[in-house]
Amino acid sequence: MSIPGPVPLEVLSACGVSKAFGAVQALHDVSVTCRAGEIHALVGENGSGKSTLLGIASGFLAPDEGTVEIGGSRLQSHSPAAARRLGLGIAYQDYSHVLDLSVAENLFLAVPVEARPPYGQMESWAEATLEEFNLILPVTAPTGSLSLAQRQFLEVVKALLTRPKVLLLDEPTTALGPEAVEQLHALVLEQARAGVAIVYVSHRLPEVLAVADRVTVLRDGVSQGTFPAASVSEDGLVELMIGRPLAAAFPERRAPDADADVLLAVTGLQGERFGPIDLAVRKGEILGIAGAEGNGQVQFLRALAGVERAVGRASCDGASLDTRSPLGPLRAGVVLLSGDRRGEALFPVLSVRANATVPVLRRLARFGVVGHRRERRAIADLVERLRVRMGSTEQPVQSLSGGNQQKVSLIRPFLRGDVKVILAEEPTQGVDVGARFDIYEALRGKADEGLAAIVKSSDPLELAGLCDRVVVMSRGRIVEEIPRHELGERRIVEAIVGSRTGVTARDDDGAQA
Amino acid sequence: MKRGWLPLALMTTLILALGAYAEVHSSAFLGKQNLNSLLLEAMPLIVVSMGQATALLVGGFDISVAALMTMCVVTASFTMTPSSSGITLVLGALALVGVGVATGMFNAFLIRVLRLPSIVATLGTLSVLEGASLLLRSYPNGTINTDVTNALNSGVTFIPFAFVGVVALALLADGWLYRTRTGLAFRAVGLDATSSRRLGMSTGRTVLLAFVLCSVMASIAGFYLAAEVQVGSPIIGNQALESIAAAVLGGASLAGGKGSFFGTMLAALFLTEIDNVLPLFQEPSEYADMTIGVLILLALVLYQAPELIARARTGRQRVARLPAETAGEAPAA
Repeated sequence: MSIPGPVPLEVLSACGVSKAFGAVQALHDVSVTCRAGEIHALVGENGSGKSTLLGIASGFLAPDEGTVEIGGSRLQSHSPAAARRLGLGIAYQDYSHVLDLSVAENLFLAVPVEARPPYGQMESWAEATLEEFNLILPVTAPTGSLSLAQRQFLEVVKALLTRPKVLLLDEPTTALGPEAVEQLHALVLEQARAGVAIVYVSHRLPEVLAVADRVTVLRDGVSQGTFPAASVSEDGLVELMIGRPLAAAFPERRAPDADADVLLAVTGLQGERFGPIDLAVRKGEILGIAGAEGNGQVQFLRALAGVERAVGRASCDGASLDTRSPLGPLRAGVVLLSGDRRGEALFPVLSVRANATVPVLRRLARFGVVGHRRERRAIADLVERLRVRMGSTEQPVQSLSGGNQQKVSLIRPFLRGDVKVILAEEPTQGVDVGARFDIYEALRGKADEGLAAIVKSSDPLELAGLCDRVVVMSRGRIVEEIPRHELGERRIVEAIVGSRTGVTARDDDGAQA
Repeated sequence: MKRGWLPLALMTTLILALGAYAEVHSSAFLGKQNLNSLLLEAMPLIVVSMGQATALLVGGFDISVAALMTMCVVTASFTMTPSSSGITLVLGALALVGVGVATGMFNAFLIRVLRLPSIVATLGTLSVLEGASLLLRSYPNGTINTDVTNALNSGVTFIPFAFVGVVALALLADGWLYRTRTGLAFRAVGLDATSSRRLGMSTGRTVLLAFVLCSVMASIAGFYLAAEVQVGSPIIGNQALESIAAAVLGGASLAGGKGSFFGTMLAALFLTEIDNVLPLFQEPSEYADMTIGVLILLALVLYQAPELIARARTGRQRVARLPAETAGEAPAA
């Protein structure tokens, strides 16, 4: 028998971890290990227990059963500070920045006390540190003035500044365009080569599979196994995640009707970070907006909805659209599904029912009094049709998973009979695979009824599968239009990259600050 | 940090302007005796407001401070009697600080462990302390040692030593807050507790520290108040809202993480000056309350003005500038 080679050191091991929140068993006897130099992907639907597992590994949550070892030492007290001392760094999905403090101050606070520079040299140190990571950011600017993509990168840098043995990345690419994703992956691979154990959580299977060595799949709090990344296919993983093969990922598209009336027309619209833009969307059409993050796509959509300031002309169904306030577009039947669900689209503590019916209360009220039964009746069909998974319609919307929250905000345009245009900003961000299809189907169903929709998404695959036509934006303007018969993930990505020749992500981001 | 100077400048201007106005109308204002009594009068509010500022810095309120000051006055009427001297007097004074520490710990316990909003938690503490004070002294009774009063009132010309002390303390505290590592961490917890905890900071300890400091400052203010009134009155403290007003006028944000101890000191001085000046004009004191209310609103608007103006200006400029910038540029294909 030959002597076995050196076994890679297991730097993170979660052993037999279980955790329940009330009656819900979030994790059941899950064991995961991550070796030095390994990139370990953790995938699963929303609510499958990924976040709980990360929370336990990073010391934010205490497990009911089981143990966590970091670098060979057991995590005794369950606090983020204790996990950090043992050598764990984590990049949170929703970041750990203090937005009112400067970039330099945030970096300073992210470093362990003993490794911090003298207080007075913070800014020059911050500049040098960012340079190490090939990142150019204004160090004295408040972190809140950075773009989301910049914040996301900064979050990963902050985690790395602790010189971790174990790095946990929770959805680190949600705000990044394809080019920035590659930049991030290069950084992650470099860390792995240097011997850091990396646990990488992502919804984006192609992305995570491109860099991962091993993959662990979670479903309903139970591990479905750990596999070498080379031996699994996306289809196979999806099947493990949802427990059934996904028949078709996107709803069927009808043949486009080139003679349909133009429903939304935009002429020379421009705002702080986009324009001038000319655009026409026909009845029954779903138009996709692609582009590297931070090229004005979101601002354009928000300007159309009257949320952001803009000059220029827009009309809906022949009538001029007053975009000076959200009221004008709303009255004209243009509704925005904000990407910031918690902040803008939903009232997190209110029930599913209240969230769904709030725009149409006048219709549901009789003599000024809203009958709950009338409300429930109004949404009963829609809840079923959109497959909102919940205990009851009285449940606070914040207790639902991301995908189900999105579905609740999607009920609104269905309740109003007079909606003509749906503007959807990242409609499936943070939404699991199964729920995505329901959302696509809802949007397509609305289009088939004669509405128009504009979908802004950072996922090229989604745009290719869902849309009738995709426009690519760069530096605030439309630089390319991809017709239906050419649509494909590769085509869109190429358009995004091609349209940005000679422009780095950093130049673009810097221009927005 | 640039914006941080605005409250200091505004408060200084107002103090000087009101002083000048008062002097024009009645030459009694700039008299040494009046200035001395103004500074002495201001001491309890200055001290308690600086304590309040620490609570505001971590995003909380402490409305139990006035009741705590009363409790300290009542306690002083037992522990600092005219017959006590030397070591017993020192112990008697320390008893007041002990009451402060205990109250602060209790508040922090309610807020951190029982997760009560600070405004509700300290409202409860306020009632408990008020009741306890009335239990101990149902009417003003018990003389307080005058040696302490004399010591506190001593100074050079019209400036009490104690006032010099609080000015120095305010400057040191601001230096700590804006120029040191721990001060930065303290502000970070106030600005964003979740992020701070994620970065490994002990947010619980920071909140505990802030509320204990707040209560200790309130008990020191109570000590001053005791020296002023010299009798164990159970209904004396009423500075809860004024202390919040002073901290806010001094630049504190109700959302936490922002504020200035020096600004708070100036604002407390200014609020006392209003009270001090009105009798010179034979104006009823109701005007003082109304003036303070209007001033707080105006100051808050003014403090936010630079941000609002900047936002409006950049918004307009960018919209206007964009076509010129991009017009000559062929869209890259």
